[in-house]
Amino acid sequence: MDAVQVNKTLDLKGLLCPIPVVKMAQAIKTVAVGEVIEATATDPGVMADIPAWCRTTGQELVRITRENGVISFAVRRVK
Amino acid sequence: MSETVRTETINTALGALERVLDRRLVAALEVCARCGICAEACHVYASDPRPEHVPAARAERVRAVYRRQHDPLGKLFPWLVGAKDLTEPDLDALAEPAFASCTLCRRCTINCPFGVDTALIMRAARAMLTATDRAPEMLVMLADAAIARGEHAEEFREIYREIVAGLEHEAQERLGDPTLRIPLDQQGAEILYVGLSGAHTILPAAIIFHEANASWTLSMFEASNYGLFLGDPARAKAIARRIVDEAVRLGVKEVVLTECGHAYAALRWEAPNWFGGEFPFKVRSIVEVLADYVRDGRLALDPTANPEPVTYHDSCNLARNGGLIEAPRIVLRAAVQNFVEMNPHGKENFCCGGGGGLVAIPEWFETRMRAGRKKAEQIRAAGAPVVATSCENCNLQLTDLNGYYDLNVQVVGLMELVVNALLKARRRHAVPLPEAA
Repeated sequence: MDAVQVNKTLDLKGLLCPIPVVKMAQAIKTVAVGEVIEATATDPGVMADIPAWCRTTGQELVRITRENGVISFAVRRVK
Repeated sequence: MSETVRTETINTALGALERVLDRRLVAALEVCARCGICAEACHVYASDPRPEHVPAARAERVRAVYRRQHDPLGKLFPWLVGAKDLTEPDLDALAEPAFASCTLCRRCTINCPFGVDTALIMRAARAMLTATDRAPEMLVMLADAAIARGEHAEEFREIYREIVAGLEHEAQERLGDPTLRIPLDQQGAEILYVGLSGAHTILPAAIIFHEANASWTLSMFEASNYGLFLGDPARAKAIARRIVDEAVRLGVKEVVLTECGHAYAALRWEAPNWFGGEFPFKVRSIVEVLADYVRDGRLALDPTANPEPVTYHDSCNLARNGGLIEAPRIVLRAAVQNFVEMNPHGKENFCCGGGGGLVAIPEWFETRMRAGRKKAEQIRAAGAPVVATSCENCNLQLTDLNGYYDLNVQVVGLMELVVNALLKARRRHAVPLPEAA
């Protein structure tokens, strides 16, 4: 288990595409560069959408895991 | 901002307009009798009757610029014909009418005595705004993320396989049938089914295809196309290309799109123009496929599974623009006990107020709730506790309207109702297991 310090958490469970990405994009603006948002979601599309969103927006995907239908991911604001 | 930068911005915007200026758009820009009939046809005006919400008034912002560039009188005597040079404040002011007040639903077009396609003009406005970085950031981001997902498909393939394996297990449990499969990358399958990112578009389809004994495979990609909302043919084509390439690679006979209005419009009507020719496969909505399955008796449905009155919201893209009016009704009559028409419906149905990408833009929540007032009134008047629709955008918007206007209804997708009816029919016909000795 990594020791990333989480600065904000988001509960995106039950939300369907594209809302998890929309909420994440909104939230990233509320933390400082270098800070990390950790989120949980249930929409399986998040597993592909969040890495793609990080790639295009230049944010760092620290981790993404799926267990018992719940996807957990952490994103560090880079810019 | 310097004069040079300002000139570049305006040139970029005008260049974007020129690129989309075909005969259809020219006709729409040149023909308007200013009769005002489009006003009452527009759900935004009907919900919030202000002069700036008249479709012709929205279009006039682009028309004035077009006249200045192309009308001989507009070039010489702009004041005489209402022609106007484009300025940066004009561009800034175009964002709300183009992206928030017009959902590109085309109800104004079918009610216009001349058939003026105001949605086409608003798409040109969106193209101008996107080219000058004035499009809603969220739409740009979602479009670019979709393109990135296509460009890095190999990286996502294994993750996606895992997701699909999990969904397959869920679908088997729901149906009570371990033989159900969700095929992925199945070479030679007849159907490439393109869902959305969410499981809710994949699970019911898997159950339906299994029951209909269809030859199908699931797409790696999602159907939505945010490039279309941006009025940006390059992005829209890049997003569509992922599905086109996949369909060609797998050799499918048809691509079936999930319940999504704009995805249908994009791939069925727009994409052949972007690619400059017909595809070697058909493109259909799942709504058409469901109607065929019902007609052909390939699905045993028990409508008592859906006993409450159900009304249906026609998606603008599927019904008004795509002509899919009877197909969902064939399905509904078979899947529910009491189908109640909304008034008006079919091609005259009012937009839910969330189309054109509006549901993805959080800062315009209040705008779209106000624009949905007419739809809320329609739902209330229909009096049915269940509202079905076959468009994800509509589903999200109707769900929000339900809370905002206290409509106290349940919003469901068409496939969901079909699966309810199918599962009940399956249970009814199930042979009871013999008693244990």
